[in-house]
Amino acid sequence: MSRVQLTLALARKDWRLFWADRRAALLCFVVPVLLAATFGAIFHRPASGANPRLPVVVVVEDGGPFTRQVANEVLASQRLDAREASRAEAAAQVAERRAVAVVLPAGFERLKLWEPGSTQERPELVLLHHPNATGERQWCEGAVQELVMKCVARETFGASDRESAPPFKVAAEAVSPYPRTQFNSYSHSFCGMSIQYLLFWGMESGLLLLRERRRGAWARLRAAAVPLSCVIAGKALATGSVALLQVLVTFGVGYVAFGVTIGGSLVGFVLLACAACALAAATGLLVAALGASEARARSVSVLLILGVSMLGGLWVPAFLLPGWARDVSLALPTTWAMRGLETVTWQGGGLGAALPSAAAVAGFALALLAVAALRLRLTERAIREGRV
Amino acid sequence: MARSSRFGLHFPRSFAIPRPRKFPRRGFLMPLPVALSLIDVSVYYGARAALERVSLDVRRGEIVGLLGPNGSGKSTTLAVAAGVLDPATGAVTVEGRARGVDPAAFARRVGLVPQEPALYDELTALDNLRFFGELYGLAGTELRRRAARALARVKLSDRARDRVGTFSGGLKQRLNLAAALLHDPPVLLLDEPTAALDPASRDALFADLARFRDDGHAVLLTTHHIDEAESGCDRVAVLETGKLVACGAPGELLRPRAAERAVLYGHLRARPPRYLERAIRHRLAPGAALEITGRRLRLSADTSEDLGLALALLLAEGVELEAYRTPAGALERALREPTEQTEPTPC
Repeated sequence: MSRVQLTLALARKDWRLFWADRRAALLCFVVPVLLAATFGAIFHRPASGANPRLPVVVVVEDGGPFTRQVANEVLASQRLDAREASRAEAAAQVAERRAVAVVLPAGFERLKLWEPGSTQERPELVLLHHPNATGERQWCEGAVQELVMKCVARETFGASDRESAPPFKVAAEAVSPYPRTQFNSYSHSFCGMSIQYLLFWGMESGLLLLRERRRGAWARLRAAAVPLSCVIAGKALATGSVALLQVLVTFGVGYVAFGVTIGGSLVGFVLLACAACALAAATGLLVAALGASEARARSVSVLLILGVSMLGGLWVPAFLLPGWARDVSLALPTTWAMRGLETVTWQGGGLGAALPSAAAVAGFALALLAVAALRLRLTERAIREGRV
Repeated sequence: MARSSRFGLHFPRSFAIPRPRKFPRRGFLMPLPVALSLIDVSVYYGARAALERVSLDVRRGEIVGLLGPNGSGKSTTLAVAAGVLDPATGAVTVEGRARGVDPAAFARRVGLVPQEPALYDELTALDNLRFFGELYGLAGTELRRRAARALARVKLSDRARDRVGTFSGGLKQRLNLAAALLHDPPVLLLDEPTAALDPASRDALFADLARFRDDGHAVLLTTHHIDEAESGCDRVAVLETGKLVACGAPGELLRPRAAERAVLYGHLRARPPRYLERAIRHRLAPGAALEITGRRLRLSADTSEDLGLALALLLAEGVELEAYRTPAGALERALREPTEQTEPTPC
């Protein structure tokens, strides 16, 4: 029998073993879809409709008319979801991180008398915020400053609403190297969870091989003089084909139910999917080659997979990570797989844009495969020679 | 035929196996060809010698039993013979071929039946056989024909499409044997094939082995149950700490001794917990010994009175026996009193 036929026989056996437990096989496809849908829903923002508004509580502690005017401006702002409350109520809302509080304290009315070049002590406006809400505080500060200056301009210079408006327009423009970019939070989560669960499937496949090597069936394989290269190729083929099916199912459901589309190169997507499946197969072989026992191999693998998933930007976009983490992540295959898949899905990138990522992922897969094969070969030789 | 013990248990009178012979016996018309040959084989696990200069021939049409206590090198001998382990020195040939020259050709001539059923519980019996057949180059109609024949040989045709996970220990062992026979190897190697079997399944297995022997297979099996070697093997090779200390037909190993040990072999309903096993051993009379392998039991003592007391102690502790018997005891004596020798015994 040729080596190809032997490899196919071994792969068929693994394929049958995978489908023997139908429920486990089903979960292998359902779990990534469920997680991707959940992550997508959490980060989902409708493309059209009202802009998000910051929840703000206004506390008015000065009874003057100018202060009232400022409070009314804040309450009427289209950028803030503001309501008036007492200081105690505001403090409670802030403590629960449900809002930022704008306090107009006693003496704020003095701002009405302000003149350009005045050296008098400036009245205070207090912002109360949760310690972990610096971003919201800055958002609120910017919006409130604009509103207060509008009131001051009206009071000091008698300017109308139109005259007190900013003397410029803001033109916001999303910039991307790809013209067809259309962000969809589900695209990001389906790309991320697909890659993460490919690695988890690779790990499970590796653990199966680890289990097999401790069972009598492996002795029969050794007695049948099956070359190790066929065992490795058969395992990689079976793992890779199940992984490819997993990608098809995940993105199929994403397309039908959540509008996840391949906006860019389809060939690029196929290349990246194949490279990611090869990465899953190599991960499995590495787990089988380096794992001393199933329990230990599982614990270490889960930790590593979750680590590279997080650093690779599979859970949240990579730009949210600190700078050092973004630098480190360049040495991880997950980063490149994620970049590539995002390029060909919601960013709408072409084949040229996907190729570097596909090549990087394939390179990582080959490197891991080489390490696994070498280690398995050394172990098998040691077993044959009675050194293990 | 069965008889009742004083404990009300039923057990067979003997394990004698009928031997219809189709293959010419040794010394009849012509000598049988040697199928498996171990020549001066040594194996080391690190610095420890697992086998030391073991030489053994197994001819077509004979069953050779490798006998010895745990750790004597029986499984290592089988692993070397199967080509799973490389010997440090010496050579192994099957029908004159060494493994190093053509591993695949060597493998096609050997069928290995590991101690634990070497099967995939998740697959059906037929899928298991198809897979193992493919490893030996079988395919298509030929594979289907051989799988059906192997299942029929071990009387499992009606369970072909059942998952192996649903099989009993005896059925798994039969399928384990079928998987080794699929490519019709001249040499069949079985590692402790009866360890997990009840008496009826064990008798059935030995009847199967006798049939294969008569079909011209060379069978080498390991056991540490002397009664099996005595009644089921044509020749017996006794291993002790990696050395072959005795070899010959069971009858040739008979040596009259002045002092006999009383021995009882039994089959347990369930293996007792380890702590109970240790507690019973601790309370046995001096000179009495208890060995449990899987669900097999061997109880021995200097006198039959001590043996009776040991058995009573065992039963009082709640250990249940499905069946038991006392052997003729000939090989038992030979094995318990190994010969002092410096030169390895060829066999």
